[in-house]
Amino acid sequence: MTSQAALAGEIEVEAFRRLYPLQFYERHLNDNVRPDARPLGRARATSLALGTVPTADGSAMAKIGHTQTMLAGVKLEVMTPATDAPDEGRIAVDFQMPPICSPDVRPGRPVDTAAVISEQLFSVLASSGVINLKELSISKGQAAWMAYLDIYCLDADGALFDAALLAAIGAFAHLRFPAVSMTEEGKVIPLSGDTVLEDGNKEQPKVQEQRQQLTLGKIPFSLTCMLHKKYILADPTAEEEKIFQTTITVVLDHSGRLVSFYKPGGSALASTSTIQDCMALTRYRVKELQKILDEALSEMEPV
Amino acid sequence: MEYISPEGLRLDGRRPLEMRQLHAQLGVVDKADGSAIFEMGNTKVIAAVYGPHEVQSKNQQLPDQALVRCEYSMANFSTGDRPRRSKGDRRATEISLVIRQTMEAAILTHLMPRTQIDIFVQVLQADGGTRAACINAATLAIADAGIPMCDLVTSCAAGYLNNMNYMEDSAGGPDVTVGLMTKMDKLTLLQMDSKLPMDIFETVMQLAIEGCKAIVRYIQNILLENTKQLEYQRGLRS
Repeated sequence: MTSQAALAGEIEVEAFRRLYPLQFYERHLNDNVRPDARPLGRARATSLALGTVPTADGSAMAKIGHTQTMLAGVKLEVMTPATDAPDEGRIAVDFQMPPICSPDVRPGRPVDTAAVISEQLFSVLASSGVINLKELSISKGQAAWMAYLDIYCLDADGALFDAALLAAIGAFAHLRFPAVSMTEEGKVIPLSGDTVLEDGNKEQPKVQEQRQQLTLGKIPFSLTCMLHKKYILADPTAEEEKIFQTTITVVLDHSGRLVSFYKPGGSALASTSTIQDCMALTRYRVKELQKILDEALSEMEPV
Repeated sequence: MEYISPEGLRLDGRRPLEMRQLHAQLGVVDKADGSAIFEMGNTKVIAAVYGPHEVQSKNQQLPDQALVRCEYSMANFSTGDRPRRSKGDRRATEISLVIRQTMEAAILTHLMPRTQIDIFVQVLQADGGTRAACINAATLAIADAGIPMCDLVTSCAAGYLNNMNYMEDSAGGPDVTVGLMTKMDKLTLLQMDSKLPMDIFETVMQLAIEGCKAIVRYIQNILLENTKQLEYQRGLRS
């Protein structure tokens, strides 16, 4: 009997949550807590796994909370570098939200969020200097690597940019360059262990100094917060993002310097103190994320 | 290139009639009504089912049955090289149609008129047999969503060798993909490429059907385990 009564009570709470979401949340915020029992400034449990896609040159899967999942893969292709930057490679970022990730994404109707996050990611990766484009060069003026970063959202539950950035950093940290060598004509050929040179081939392939992996510079970490009246909620879920429409995304590098700050409008206005509170929350989050990244890197097999 | 070594082993160490290792997991996408990941060797596919829900465009609504829609897509890093796939990719459209019609035959659509069921399949890693893996993943996802089906549909691809991977598939030999409704022992899908003499075709089809039966045994175990877990969580079984 008691389980039935409990079930009936649960249905009433669910109904209230659906019909009056704002009041439901405000009742929680008054006690400085959220429906999933997190305090306002705490982010969800995050995990990062490297090397999840063996077919890609570098890959990572980032999970925030139980549900927010991003899969990132980097594939390297050879290209000729631009004439004004002959010793640099290039990066292309593509963030996609396939229809599996959320009931709001329908096929045939591309979501704006995907394009916005793609652009944000690219500008953060480029401006933070985490990747030294010169490391992507194979031979000055002749060949360089083009790194295609593809990120797929497999399950969308708020704070997409944070998870996407973490997955992107993980994929680049895991990246292994394939062994290549250059022929005299300037063609880049893959170098495999059992390549046999033809007898008639007098030209010795120039074997470049093989770099095994990228050295990451200042690694950017981010935290998205929502503003509502005087409350700041860190790491919102999809439900919270829908109710409180104002987001602030702060990106700091591991030394605590500001890489990017993004507040795209919204009904709630941020005062200077609010901004500083967000930055303090982000600084704390950066330490958490740095530890998670280090753990994931140490679990990776050594080259 | 030798596809079977003198000792009788294939490139990945399997015997000619042996299937790849299967692995499946239900309920991986929280937001979807039903979802599953299905792995056959190195081929990894994720399927999500949304529905039954209201039809998006009212003019497509069917008065006496549910509308089933399916979309197949491959991740850009899923294969060895990274082709730039446009949205109107013909191969993806064809495979979407094949999966849709295969699942439509199994789903009891007349129980849910004027609704829509969306099946989305995403290939995360491709190593041959993606079509078959997608159908298996879709079956699991539909079962996870609780949508009634008249039978479990499983699929397997075979040629001269059973359940080929990418290397064997690109060898240019015959490739027969079979979709089977196991309890009713009826075929819903049969596709073949390349040339094959009629008597060998029978053998190859039998090989694929054996593969389907092996997969359905595995899928039934997974679904049974999943139901047990749900019962434990609800407290109906201690």
